[in-house]
Amino acid sequence: MRLSFRSGNLRLRLTLWYGLAFSILLLLHIGVATYVHYRQLIAQAYHAANEETETVEGLMYQTPDGRVSLNEDYFNHPEVRFRLDRLFEVLAPDGTILYRNSKLNGTELGGKPFHNEGMGSYNERALKLSDGRNVLLVSHFHLLNGRPLILRLAFDQAPLLANVMRFFSVLLLLAPITVMVAVAVVYRVTSGALSPLSNMVRRAERITAERLSERLPVHDASDDLGNAARVFNGLLQRLEDSFSQLKRFTSDASHELRTPLASMRSIGEVSLQKNHSSEAYREVIASMLEEVRRLTHLVDSLLVISRADSGQIALRLSEFSCMDLVQEVVGVVGILAEDKHQTIRMTGNAGIEVRADRGILRQAILNLVDNAIKYSADDSEILVEVRKASEELTEISIVDCGPGIPVDEQSRIFDRFYRTDQGRSREQGGTGLGLSIAKWAVEVHSGTIGVRPGDGGGSCFFVRLPLNSSTSQLR
Amino acid sequence: MQILIVEDESKLACALQQGLEEEGYSAAVALSGEEALQWFERNTPDLVLLDVMLSKRNGLSVLREFRRDGFQTPVLLLTALDSVEDRVLGLDAGADDYLVKPFAFPELLARVRALLRRTATTPQSVLELADLHMNLAGRTASRAGTALELTSREFDLLEYLMLNRGRVVSREMLTRDVWKETSRYTSLDNVIDVQVARLRRKIDDPYDLKLLHTVRGIGFVLREE
Repeated sequence: MRLSFRSGNLRLRLTLWYGLAFSILLLLHIGVATYVHYRQLIAQAYHAANEETETVEGLMYQTPDGRVSLNEDYFNHPEVRFRLDRLFEVLAPDGTILYRNSKLNGTELGGKPFHNEGMGSYNERALKLSDGRNVLLVSHFHLLNGRPLILRLAFDQAPLLANVMRFFSVLLLLAPITVMVAVAVVYRVTSGALSPLSNMVRRAERITAERLSERLPVHDASDDLGNAARVFNGLLQRLEDSFSQLKRFTSDASHELRTPLASMRSIGEVSLQKNHSSEAYREVIASMLEEVRRLTHLVDSLLVISRADSGQIALRLSEFSCMDLVQEVVGVVGILAEDKHQTIRMTGNAGIEVRADRGILRQAILNLVDNAIKYSADDSEILVEVRKASEELTEISIVDCGPGIPVDEQSRIFDRFYRTDQGRSREQGGTGLGLSIAKWAVEVHSGTIGVRPGDGGGSCFFVRLPLNSSTSQLR
Repeated sequence: MQILIVEDESKLACALQQGLEEEGYSAAVALSGEEALQWFERNTPDLVLLDVMLSKRNGLSVLREFRRDGFQTPVLLLTALDSVEDRVLGLDAGADDYLVKPFAFPELLARVRALLRRTATTPQSVLELADLHMNLAGRTASRAGTALELTSREFDLLEYLMLNRGRVVSREMLTRDVWKETSRYTSLDNVIDVQVARLRRKIDDPYDLKLLHTVRGIGFVLREE
């Protein structure tokens, strides 16, 4: 069943379901109570009949014609008046009727006696008389002056059933009122309990991509709805964060794309203002193509980042020595250092292995070493060290002799498009994405990346990776 | 050699057509998948350059139909989509190669040449250009009879340029084929520029005849001028 969260609807549903369940239970309850009451009345009737039989035994006397009669004086006592309702019959064991009281109106009470009827104890049975009356009958064997007799005493069931019916109908009449009261109470309680939900729904309806800063009201943080509101607010916070990050990224990216576009446009427009030699046009086109290269590189980097963000990049894990990787990277970019007469010194334990995607991790180290070369002065030394930071952690650190990074910028340099020195970095062909790509490349391997002041006044960039990084931790 | 260019971006299509014709190929343009399939009924090209993201009909579906009809012509896909899945999808549809936009024209030419090369070229052990000699087996090089002291990377670079002598090679091609870097976002432009400058110092600076030229905005070429 689809639950609509329009609160009125939910409230009504809850109430109706409750009302239905309550009614069924109530009816069941009434039925059981009536039955128990009926059984109790019957038991009482038999009990009364047994006592009555004993009383009657004492009132009986033998008439001279061989029949039996009762001392009717007794019935003038008010305390036995109720016994007027009883039906009474006395038989000889051979079935001869010896006495019948007037209430029987001549009908038989049980017919011929059966074998051993009333012997030892009281026989109890329900019986339908020939005139249609339903009776509860008790039989008892009795010796009157040595003469065997069977005493049968019965009560009509009709008044008893009437009593039960009365009981039943009173309960039944009360049932709708009970149900109505219960339903009304439940409706009120549900409304009260759900009103925070309707508030939340109203508030949630106002939340859009443009208004993600809205939050759901938390009425009582300790109850279920309050908890739900809290969880949803957490979700909204995360959404807002990634949304604003995305917005900033998009606008930053657009700005970055603008720079080469602006150059291309100016170069093209200026060259078309006047006639130039074909040699000059070649220069213009070449210069525009250089800008295109920058654009292409920027777009490629943006694509990597967007894929990384959406988790589309699958890792191809393998185990390899960190030192191998460092040497490979230095083998590629080392020539840039040679060009600036810098030396790259590599130290550390060649035996330290990590399990990672070599290509992706290589990208991170490449970016870091490339930066170190870029920002270090000529004739300086760059130190790349591989060591165990702890039992579970390996650290690759790159210490440069650059200008260092101010403390307040240290946390931001891994942000996308963040540059410590705007103009200079762009001139050197940076996209402003190198460090954020490195950060992603390390973090996707459950590692951390950071920067601290280096010993020589420059910076020390470090990458820490779990040594036995279990694959389960990796995305 | 006839090449069909299936590309709905007419500027790009015309540029490719002109570029290929200047290289001595005969090139035709189809601006839609339907046009391309009609064209196939009358002509048999030696190579097809196929854009994947055609506006009306996806290039892959054109390719599948083309292959279903029994054409064996090599197909080079041009696409802006470069994820691994896209590549696999393209190759599964029957493409022979895959080039991601934006590409460098020299790179396109290299791929076209590779696809049109029906028989594998016999590996050469000696390469020559003017007075520059390379012995690939012994990994030695000399110019005007003087042995050149080259590092391993410089030798690989020179070998690649020699194999493509007379043709411009882009930085992307060098990144991929000489530095064996596979990810597109890794820019080795600085490294390549420095490496080329060094190579030039060794093979060109002492001599009057310059062989290694920079084609600004595109890449490098090894040729006598």
